[in-house]
Amino acid sequence: MSTAPKAIAGARERYEPVIGLEVHAQLKTASKIFCCCSTRFGAPPNTQVCPVCLGLPGVLPVLNERAVRDAVMVGLAVGSKIALRSVFARKNYFYPDLPKGYQISQYDRPLCEGGSIDIRSGEGWKRIGLVRIHLEEDAGKSLHPEGRAGIHTTRVDLNRAGVPLIEIVSEPDIRSGEEATDYMARLRQILVYLDVCDGNMEEGSLRCDANVSVRPKGSTSFGTKTEIKNLNSFRFVDRAIAYEIERQIGLIESGGRVVQETLLWNSEQGVAESMRSKEEAHDYRYFPEPDLLPLDLDPAWIESVRASLPELPHALRERLVREHGIPEYDAEVLIETRSLASYYEDVAARSGQPKLASNWIMTEVNAIRNRDGLSIERFPIQADRLGALVGMIGAGSISGKIGKQVFEHMLTDPAAPDEIVKRHGLLPIDDEASLLELADEIVAANPGPAAEFRAGKEKTFGFFVGQAMKRSGGRAHPEKLQAALRAALAKQA
Amino acid sequence: MSASVHKETAEDLARSVRDGSRSASEIARAFLERTGRTSDRLGTYLHLDPESILAAATAVDDRRKSGEPLGPLAGVPVAIKDNICIRGVPTTCGSRILEAYRPPYDAHVITRLRQAGAILFGKTNCDEFAMGSSNENSAYKPVRNPWDPERVPGGSSGGSAATVAAREAPLALGSDTGGSVRQPAAFCGVVGLKPTYGSVSRYGLVAFASSLDQIGPLARSARDAALLFDSIVGRDPRDMTSRPEAKGVDLEELERGVKGIRIGIPGQFLGEGLDPEIRACLDQVRDGLAREGATELDVALPHARYAIATYYLIAPAEASSNLARYDGVRYGLRAGNGDLRGMYETTRGLGFGREVKRRILLGTYALSAGYYDAYYLRAQKVRTLIRRDFTEAFGKADVLLLPVTPTPPFRLGEKTEDPLAMYLNDIYSIPASLAGVPALSFPAGFTKSGLPIGLQLVGKPVDETTLLRVARAWEKASDAARRAPALAEAAA
Amino acid sequence: MRIDAGTVRKIAALARLRVAPEDEERYVRELQEILTYVEQLQALDVEGIEPTSTVVAGEPVPLRPDEEISSDVRDEALAAAPDREEDYFRVPRVV
Ligand SMILES: [Mg+2]
Ligand SMILES: [Zn+2]
Repeated sequence: MSTAPKAIAGARERYEPVIGLEVHAQLKTASKIFCCCSTRFGAPPNTQVCPVCLGLPGVLPVLNERAVRDAVMVGLAVGSKIALRSVFARKNYFYPDLPKGYQISQYDRPLCEGGSIDIRSGEGWKRIGLVRIHLEEDAGKSLHPEGRAGIHTTRVDLNRAGVPLIEIVSEPDIRSGEEATDYMARLRQILVYLDVCDGNMEEGSLRCDANVSVRPKGSTSFGTKTEIKNLNSFRFVDRAIAYEIERQIGLIESGGRVVQETLLWNSEQGVAESMRSKEEAHDYRYFPEPDLLPLDLDPAWIESVRASLPELPHALRERLVREHGIPEYDAEVLIETRSLASYYEDVAARSGQPKLASNWIMTEVNAIRNRDGLSIERFPIQADRLGALVGMIGAGSISGKIGKQVFEHMLTDPAAPDEIVKRHGLLPIDDEASLLELADEIVAANPGPAAEFRAGKEKTFGFFVGQAMKRSGGRAHPEKLQAALRAALAKQA
Repeated sequence: MSASVHKETAEDLARSVRDGSRSASEIARAFLERTGRTSDRLGTYLHLDPESILAAATAVDDRRKSGEPLGPLAGVPVAIKDNICIRGVPTTCGSRILEAYRPPYDAHVITRLRQAGAILFGKTNCDEFAMGSSNENSAYKPVRNPWDPERVPGGSSGGSAATVAAREAPLALGSDTGGSVRQPAAFCGVVGLKPTYGSVSRYGLVAFASSLDQIGPLARSARDAALLFDSIVGRDPRDMTSRPEAKGVDLEELERGVKGIRIGIPGQFLGEGLDPEIRACLDQVRDGLAREGATELDVALPHARYAIATYYLIAPAEASSNLARYDGVRYGLRAGNGDLRGMYETTRGLGFGREVKRRILLGTYALSAGYYDAYYLRAQKVRTLIRRDFTEAFGKADVLLLPVTPTPPFRLGEKTEDPLAMYLNDIYSIPASLAGVPALSFPAGFTKSGLPIGLQLVGKPVDETTLLRVARAWEKASDAARRAPALAEAAA
Repeated sequence: MRIDAGTVRKIAALARLRVAPEDEERYVRELQEILTYVEQLQALDVEGIEPTSTVVAGEPVPLRPDEEISSDVRDEALAAAPDREEDYFRVPRVV
């Protein structure tokens, strides 16, 4: 067990945390990286296995083309250099869920080198460098059920063994738990945009290990780092890193020393526990995998992959700002997913009201989606219908307030918004006679405020507008109503 | 009738099955009967199931009766080294750790043999995980040399070589990592071919050293070896190291003689320590081939003398990793009670024999932190130098002629206490393994005491044809390939 | 390079091999002899030489298309397990 964090007043400001992330992302291939077994999540134990991924004597790995393509797409998307020759290596260690006694990974010659991801830091943008992206196979799953008394066993399910992963290693450019979380979120967004990973952290499609150290501010050398494993949610990334920074500072401030070790994040207790302090130092004995030839890529093929890349989040964000004139903040919210952004673009085009469209999606649409946990694809109001509604509001043919009522109806009623307006009697009141009648009624019912107004208290006018709107159920045409009220107040003087 | 079956070539046996002059069942019964007389004494088989052999033979006969086309090996028994997987058939690799193991799949070569109509004829004894040069490292029993049962048959494919030499089976498959087909072929007086690395799929061959392992045929003649090689050669999508340019052998090509073929002899490399009778045999073959029209020249293999040192770093390193999967979790032996670590160590400590453990230790050491560059990486670089030597030699020569072993077969127990001496026995076979080029051992002559002498031909990549063609020419020019061990004659 | 009993114990631990104490001396001797023999490689100049990790040359072979094909070995594989619990492989507890 590591010592609990000790906050030492004022000490935090004297240190700079240095954080690098190693993210494992599961690729969305149909079959495993070296065999034809399914990669589907949640199948009964040991049903998606074959001689190859069981590590039976005599079998050989055969590389999945799609996995290579997906990894290259990611590399191109983050500006990595794609190696024309990369080499698979064996990482040797014993574990019951590692069937061959080694993991096939890439070591000194990875598929992608360099690249970067821009994150939000404070008010501005910050560039986080990438060391490398490489391809490797996943291990199986060890389960440790609470056994009957005295029986201590581990169960092994090899369905996941051999599922393709990419490991994305960042430079130690990250300085806080929040930055780490933002980095994860943006990386996830890129992977989902590329459609190479489903980004599901609960199911383990995206996993994060963090290397954390601290050093006195101004220092350029690195402190001793620890590695925290098993950060399987955005919240845990933030909390575990914050915890570890505090712990290390506390340790140093109280005269101790950080020990290089691997920690496991215990999310229930909110502490990082030492994993293998007693184990001998790991010696993975990497060497080039003789069963796989070096992976040689044709530059023309790489260019064809580049040409197939979809529009990426940062480019899309810039385009939304440029083409629709909306604030960067709005664009950031709207590019959450590619389909939300295209939903927005449809609403904006249909309504002719880019900023109003953005407001409606960020507030009304997202409120319902959050409440019901809906992706935009499953949101009940399609873009053309919301576009029609926003168009009506923008043109002033209904008020925003009525618009909200129409919107509520549209969630369950597939009719067009103008149809709903008619059917529910939500048409605006804009003929002068009706408005005058309404104004007369309100003025007559409020002789006191009317007297005040006439005595020169202009502010009272707002009160009459409010009352009249309320009475009309918000349907009164705002400008015409004001004219009618002024006429009514003058008339009864 | 059955008395003559074992003397026939595989080629003739298959032809007789196809034309109906013999049945596959008759052939299977004849070989089962012969094997029954000698295999216990020779220790050639780890598993032999007459029932399934006869059933397979009957199936071939049924196919013939119903007019279906029969393959090039129709009805021919082929013995299989016990490190090649056959679905549902015990595959132990001569190791305790796989004592009861039955693979749930067929190796690529097995699928191909079934397609060719061959009869899978039992699993032959071998050194544990193909590690050895004498077959004394089998966890079950040693194999004895049919020419002199007090002597070793060579290894690791000792069972495959001995069973063909003793006429128990007309053909066998072995595997060759540093000489494991060629050296026992030489010791037993049969033809053994190590194909070009990548010519034959390794899918289903239990790995020893992946960058070196190749499956190869053992036969009594060059033509039969060619026939078997032709049935297993070719690219297999399940093995990424198998090559599209791999090609079989046209039997007609083998009859073209050696006129104009340039035979290189690495005189410098043969050096000291070569048994004088083997040296004399080599000279005799060289002169004989020259009389048939071949030209002879001297070639240099300046780095070949580093081959053993290179090999005994690379092969154990790969083996240490390849054998990590025998951990008692999914199949094979499990031993030890208590914690996981203890289970691993006990299982592997009890399941592996001394030689295997020695190589795992050596390989683990060569790959471990701090030693990788000095040992493994350096060995890989020297491997490059050795490959270059061959490329240069093949600029001048079509084929190289050299010994397979420095001595004739030695006695059982003679080298078991001195692993390095055992390793040095592979000095002539290992260079071609490291270079990945094809190499063939053929019966060249006999010592005065009547032990077979095999010589080695090494060829350019995917040029197995020339090796077999030269061996065929020598078969015609001498009687070395026609003699049979007394034990086989007596059994008949 | 000098090998001693400590080295043998260390690499045996790394390789998960139980070596009986009475065999330790023998492995020390044999490994020492082999490693002394391979020392001869140190005399070679390998400056600038590319290492050979595979002898396969020529055009790259095609990669495997991403097609899912289910295997029929599952029951046989589980039946071969030295120990199982339901449809899992079972081992002594890891942690
Ligand atoms: Mg990794
Ligand atoms: Zn599989």
